[in-house]
Amino acid sequence: MSAAVLQIENLSKSFGGIRAVHDCSFAVGQGQVLGLIGPNGAGKSTVVDLVSGFGQPDAGSIRLAGQELVGMRPDVISRLGLIRTFQNPREWRGLTVMDNVLLARRRFGRESLWRCLTRARRLRREEEPDREQARAIMDRFQLAELKNARAGTLSGGQKRLLEFARIAAADPRLVILDEPMGGVNPVLGVHIRDAVRQFAAAGQAVVVVEHNLPFIENTCDEVVVMDLGEVIAQGVFAGLRGNPRVVDAYLGMDLSHD
Amino acid sequence: MYWVSVVTEAAIFAILALGLDMVWGWAGDFDLAFYGYLALGSYMTMVLTIGKPIPPVSYIIGWRLPYPLALLLAVAAVIALAAVIGAIALRNLREIYFAVTTLSAVSALYLFVENYTPLFDGYNGVYGLINPGQTALNLTYNGYRIVFLGVVLVLLALVYLTVQRLSASPFGRMLRSVREDEHAAAAYGRGVFSAKYRAYLFGAALAGLAGGLFAVFISAFNPSAWTPQELLVIYAAILVGGRGNPFGVVAGVFAVYIGFIEVTRFLPSPAARPEFGPALRQVLIGLLIILVLKFRPEGLFRERLSRDRSPQ
Repeated sequence: MSAAVLQIENLSKSFGGIRAVHDCSFAVGQGQVLGLIGPNGAGKSTVVDLVSGFGQPDAGSIRLAGQELVGMRPDVISRLGLIRTFQNPREWRGLTVMDNVLLARRRFGRESLWRCLTRARRLRREEEPDREQARAIMDRFQLAELKNARAGTLSGGQKRLLEFARIAAADPRLVILDEPMGGVNPVLGVHIRDAVRQFAAAGQAVVVVEHNLPFIENTCDEVVVMDLGEVIAQGVFAGLRGNPRVVDAYLGMDLSHD
Repeated sequence: MYWVSVVTEAAIFAILALGLDMVWGWAGDFDLAFYGYLALGSYMTMVLTIGKPIPPVSYIIGWRLPYPLALLLAVAAVIALAAVIGAIALRNLREIYFAVTTLSAVSALYLFVENYTPLFDGYNGVYGLINPGQTALNLTYNGYRIVFLGVVLVLLALVYLTVQRLSASPFGRMLRSVREDEHAAAAYGRGVFSAKYRAYLFGAALAGLAGGLFAVFISAFNPSAWTPQELLVIYAAILVGGRGNPFGVVAGVFAVYIGFIEVTRFLPSPAARPEFGPALRQVLIGLLIILVLKFRPEGLFRERLSRDRSPQ
C-alpha cells in the first residue's frame, strides 16, 4: 500500500448524549478498496458525513492526501478530490443524463456568470471534448441511449449506473460509496463490482459502506468493522470471520455464507 | 393609447419576471421580497431625477441626474439591498423559511418607507418624474409614450437574450443542479450559497431595472403601488408561462397582463361597489394558479432540456 489517500485519526462525534463515532482511526491507500461494515447504528454513515464535510467532528483529524479536511465545507472538500454518494441515488432529476455527467466533469471555470455572458460561444467550443468524454462514459455504463432523457425518469438500476457514470466523469482521488448495492439486482451488482474495481485499478482510493457481505468480500481489499461508533476490527475479510467481536456485533450472523 | 400603456406595463413586468424566474425557476427559491426591489428601483430613480423636495414634501437625495444615469444608480442601490437580504436569507434557509424571511424583510421595509417620511415622503410617496427627455426629443405626450414603449421593448429584448443565454449556459446548468439537489451539488464541488447568491443579485438587478422603468411609466411612486398581491400576479404569470423557461416567462406575463387582467377589466362593477371588479380579479388570479397547478404544473412552455445532438 502506497501513501494513504485518506487518513482518519481518533475521529469522534456525538449527537446530544449519543456517541455516534468514537476514537475512530483507519486509512485507505491509492488503488485500494476498503469496506466499511457494521450493524445499523454503528456510525458508518456518520463517518462518511464527517469525511465529506456534511458534519463536523468533535475531535480527531481527517486528511486527504496529507491535507487536513476538518472544518471545510463539503464543496471545498469535493474540489480537493473527494466524491461521495448518498444511500439513495441523488441524480439531478430535472436535468438530462448528459447534463448530469457533464456537471460531474466539474469544469468550474466555465460556470462563471460573467464568462457565460460574454464568452458563450467559446465555452460551447471548449466543452466539446468534455461532451465527447461524457459520451464515452455513458457508453461504458449503458446510458448512451438515454443521454437526452430526464434523469428523474430513469429506473432505479439506471440511476445507480448514472451515479457511477458521474463518479467516472469526476475522476476523483477518493470515492466514498454509501450503500451502492441498495435495491440492486444481482446482474447489476456484477457491473457495480467491476466499476469499483476499475476505479481502484485507475489508482483511486475507494471506501464502500455496505451491508451486502458477499459484495464486500468480492470487492474489497480490506475491511473495517464498526460497532457502536468504534472500530472493532480491521483486516482482510477472510481473517475476520473467526473474530468473536465481529461475530458478536453481527449477532451471531454467519459470515461464511457459502 | 390605452393599448400602448397596457403593453408597456406588461413589458416592464416581463423584465421583473425574468429576474424573479432566475431565483424561483432556476435556483428554486420562492422569494417574496422582489416587489420591494422594484419599489426601491422606482423610488431611487425618482429621487435621483426630480430635484430638491419642496416642503412639506421630504425625501432623500433630491438630485437632478440624467435619467439613464439615475437608472443605473438605482439598479446599484437595489443590488446593495438584495446583497444584504440575500446574505441573510440564502445562507441556510430554504423553502418556506426562505419565503417567510424575505416576506418579513420586505414587510419591514414597507412599514419603514411608509412611516419614515424623510426617506421617500412616507405614504404620499414621490412624484414628478414626467416623461424625462420629452422636450429634448421634441415629442408630443403621446409620441413620447410610444417612444418609451419602444425603449422598454428593446430593453426587454436585450434582457431576454441575456437571460436566455445564461439559461443555456454552464452557469444555468449548475444553478439548476443546485435546485434539483443541493447536497449532491455540494458533493460535486458546487458552492451552494454562492451559486444562489449570484443568481439572486442578478435577478434583483433586473427587478431594479424594471422599477426604474416603472417610475417613468407611472411618474409617481408610493406605498400603495407595491402591495404584496402584485408579486402574486407575477408568480401566476411565471407559472402559466413555464417556470424556468425564459420564453415561457415572457409569454406568461403578456398572457396574464393582457389576456387576463385586461379582459377581466370589463367585468361588471356596480357603481355602488367600485372595488368589486379589482377584488374579483384577485380571486380569478388565485383560481388561475390553482387550475394551472392542477392541469399543467409545468406551464405552457416547459423548462427546456439541453439536447446533445451528436450521433451515437
